Amino acid sequence: MTIQQLRHIILILSLWIISPLSTISQIVCADVEIVSNTGEQADFVFDSFSKYISGITFHGIANVDVKVDDQLPSNPDCKWMLSMTVENNPSAGTAADEWETLVTYGSGSSTPPQIDILEVRVTNICSTSPVDGVYQTFTLSGDNIEIIENTGIVIPAGSCTTNVNGPGSYLTNYDEFHFQIDFRITPGFDYDPGIYQLQVKFELVEVP
Amino acid sequence: MNDNRQQEDQTIKNKTIKDNTYFKNIQVNQMRIFPKKLHNSIIPIYSFNFKTMKRRFLVFAVIGLIIGLHNGAFAQLQDEKSVSITMDLQPILQLDMETADQIEFVFDDIKDYYAGITKYGATILKVSSTVSWDLYAVGRSNGTIGPEFWDQVIDYGSGSGTNAINEIPLSAVELHQSQANNGAAGAGITATYIDYSTPFPASTVHNGANSLYVNNGTLTPPTVADKYIAGHSGVTAVGDDAMAGGSYLTAGGYTSNYYYVVDYRLMPGLPAIFPNAFDADAATAEDLVTANGAGSYAEPGVYTMYVQYVLVEDQ
Repeated sequence: MTIQQLRHIILILSLWIISPLSTISQIVCADVEIVSNTGEQADFVFDSFSKYISGITFHGIANVDVKVDDQLPSNPDCKWMLSMTVENNPSAGTAADEWETLVTYGSGSSTPPQIDILEVRVTNICSTSPVDGVYQTFTLSGDNIEIIENTGIVIPAGSCTTNVNGPGSYLTNYDEFHFQIDFRITPGFDYDPGIYQLQVKFELVEVP
Repeated sequence: MNDNRQQEDQTIKNKTIKDNTYFKNIQVNQMRIFPKKLHNSIIPIYSFNFKTMKRRFLVFAVIGLIIGLHNGAFAQLQDEKSVSITMDLQPILQLDMETADQIEFVFDDIKDYYAGITKYGATILKVSSTVSWDLYAVGRSNGTIGPEFWDQVIDYGSGSGTNAINEIPLSAVELHQSQANNGAAGAGITATYIDYSTPFPASTVHNGANSLYVNNGTLTPPTVADKYIAGHSGVTAVGDDAMAGGSYLTAGGYTSNYYYVVDYRLMPGLPAIFPNAFDADAATAEDLVTANGAGSYAEPGVYTMYVQYVLVEDQ
């Protein structure tokens, strides 16, 4: 065996050893899934003065049901985080802090609504989210709010405490894996009449 | 015998092939891929031949496949769902008005002619708007006498005097609003009186500060030279020529910019020439003498007109 051949063998063995270690560390769960269909449209129609003043609240317009499967055999590092992100279609030229304008009415001299008039509240029975029950606002397109944080440790299902992030399912641990999402908008009188749009994206991801 | 011969032939053929192969390899081994100097400076590659290169290519292909399988096939697990939120902001301009169906001015006493008759708080205007807005009043009639004159319903007496005039100008009506116009501070506003907030002057003072805006019987908005109750002509900015959206319900009631109490005054004078009738810019007198000549006076009778209040998005 020549020196060159020996080098090749050492190189291959090194890659065999290093490569699996570095990649396997990213896969800690068998599957993560948002089961509920949240791909609906929430239409806020402000057609009376009282609605402008008091706002409109949609309770449970988006229910996020989480299902995270552990590996077989069980991986003690299987954990996850859940977050939501707001988007306003910036590629259409929308300012970062405004709703995307679809239609404008009349010839008003005021401005499109700001993103921060949208309030989002996340709740579940065990109050597992650190922001549970408190209306949250976004400021700019792309802003992200963590519903279940990446704590670095596994808090197993059934704990019924903050940041439960172990494997489990809304079917077996409904109080911890089911999140009710409420939306509230109080526009006030500062904005140009028209039709505007935002998107709120819920993202579930395993955490190595 | 034949078998031995065939075996011998095959051996010779194999040898020939091997020799040929060997020969070709020898030839290729003499071909340097990189200069010797460059070899030493990079990687200790002493020489290449196609066979070695093929082996290396296969080795790295296998390595790439291994890495690709691990990294590509087992990416971090994630899932996401989206909700589209549509907000439909429909414009709402709402003017609530408390007023009598008809405001009557009956001049049956000489002092009423002199001092006029004032109807305090006859109309209350309450604004709610989701957009920037302007509010103005305009005098109108059916135009039976003319587009800018009161309609004469009844003509008293059997005939008209030589100088009796039935063309009573609509601008003879005077208004007074409880709150000043806080939406007309722009530099482009040229009106002598931007609103009707000036208190009714004494009966001997005639300046057109409160004379009603009239525009040839139409409800065309006033120009920068005329009066508004709130806001003004132009779309520069809130405060300059517009009022901000809002409502009397949340803005402090009767002291706010969304609540106006309007008083009416009608002063014929003696003789009855309606000396306070002015064009809304207060520059052109429209009293009967100025309009019709000396000696003119209002023909007795019953007259009617109406005041139209217009709430409009800032324009």
